[in-house]
Amino acid sequence: MRTGVQAIDGVPVTTRLAMKMEDSLQAFAVRAACFIGELEVPFSEEFDGHDYGATHVIAYIGDEPIGTVRVRWFKSFAMCERLAVMQRFRGHNVGSLLLERCRKLAESRGCNMLYTQVLPSDTGYWQKQGWRRLVPEEMSRAGHKPIVAMVKQVDPSKPLPEVEAPESVVLRREPTLDSSGMPVGAVTN
Amino acid sequence: MAVQTTTDRMSNRPVVTIKLASTSDELLQCYALRAAVFMGEQQCPYWEEFDGNDYSASHLMLYVDGEPAASMRVRWFQGFAKLERAIILKRYRSLGLFVPFVEWARDFAAKKGYPKAYLHGQKRLWEIFERQGFRKVNDAPFHFSDHEYGAFAADLDVPEDAPSVFTDPMVLNRPEDQLDRAGILEKSMERGASNPHAEWADRRHH
Repeated sequence: MRTGVQAIDGVPVTTRLAMKMEDSLQAFAVRAACFIGELEVPFSEEFDGHDYGATHVIAYIGDEPIGTVRVRWFKSFAMCERLAVMQRFRGHNVGSLLLERCRKLAESRGCNMLYTQVLPSDTGYWQKQGWRRLVPEEMSRAGHKPIVAMVKQVDPSKPLPEVEAPESVVLRREPTLDSSGMPVGAVTN
Repeated sequence: MAVQTTTDRMSNRPVVTIKLASTSDELLQCYALRAAVFMGEQQCPYWEEFDGNDYSASHLMLYVDGEPAASMRVRWFQGFAKLERAIILKRYRSLGLFVPFVEWARDFAAKKGYPKAYLHGQKRLWEIFERQGFRKVNDAPFHFSDHEYGAFAADLDVPEDAPSVFTDPMVLNRPEDQLDRAGILEKSMERGASNPHAEWADRRHH
C-alpha cells in the first residue's frame, strides 16, 4: 500500500514498507547517504545488526527513494530510529510523513507507544512532531553520544503505558539482547 | 593477490586490505559506500547510481583496519575490463589509497587475462590516470550525472598463466581474486564423484 499525502514540485510524496531486497537496499542507500556520507558515521556503526529484524519505511518522490525510517518492535513499544531524508528534499515534512506512517503501522498492530532515542540537539524537531521526553531533562549515553529518550502516544485518547526501555538494552544487537556486556558503540575505539 | 596487505604491525599505520566482494554483506558495504559518496556527497539520484549493472559486475572492496573504506565496480567486456564507480569515503581520502586501489584492479583484470583496462575519468583526475599509464582513447569528452568525463585505456601485462580454455578446470573454479590458490571446490574433490543425478538420468533414458 502506498499512501500519498503531499507533493514536492507537484510530484506526490508516498511512503511504503520495504518488502523486497531492492526496497531494503533503497532504505540502506538513503541512510548511507545521510549518515555515512553526510555525518561521517562509520559503516559498522550505521549497519548495526538490527536491520534484519526491523521494518523499514521508505518515502518516495515518484520512483526516487528520498527518506527512510527503521522501526523495531518491542513488547510494549515500537522504536523508530535511523530517520533520514536526503538533503535536497528536506523542509518538505517528509520526516513527519514517515513518522506518521510509523504511528499508523503501530496502531494497526495494537501497539500504543512509539519510542525513540535522539541527540539532544534534535529534541526540538521531535517535540514539533508531537513527541515528548520519556523522563524530563534526563539524558544518557550511547557509547560516546549523549541521547535523549522520547516517546509518543499512538492513540492520544489512550493513556501511555508504562515503558521499560533501558537504553543499553535497546541499543544492543538483537541476537545478544540478553547478554550482560556493554551495548554496541559503548566502547570508543 | 586476494588479500593485499600493507602491514606493519609494529607501527600505527592502518592495515589496508583489498578483496573481491564475495558475500552479500560485502556487497551491501559496497552499495552503502557508493550511496554515501555519490548520493550523499554528490547528490546523484538513486536510479542513476544503482543503474542496473550491479548484478553483472565484480565489486572490489578496500578496508582500512577492517572498516569498509573504498569500493570499485569492474565490468567485463570483450577484450577490456571497465573500471567504474570508484570511491573512497571522505575520512579515508588523505591516505593515498586511490592509486594502489586502481593498481590492484588493473592487476586483477590482467590476471584474469584482460589485456586492457578502460575507464571514464572525471576531468579533475585526468593527470592521475595519465601518470598511471592510461591514455585517452580519443578527444571527445562527454558528460553524465553532472560530471565531465574522458574515456581512457591502459594496456595490461597479461601473465602467461592467465586463464584460457586449456587451463586446469579446477583453477577456473577458484574464487576469481584467488586463482593462484586452491579453492573450496578442490577440497570437495575428496568426497569423490557419487553422481547424485545418475538415477534420474537412467529414468529418463528408459
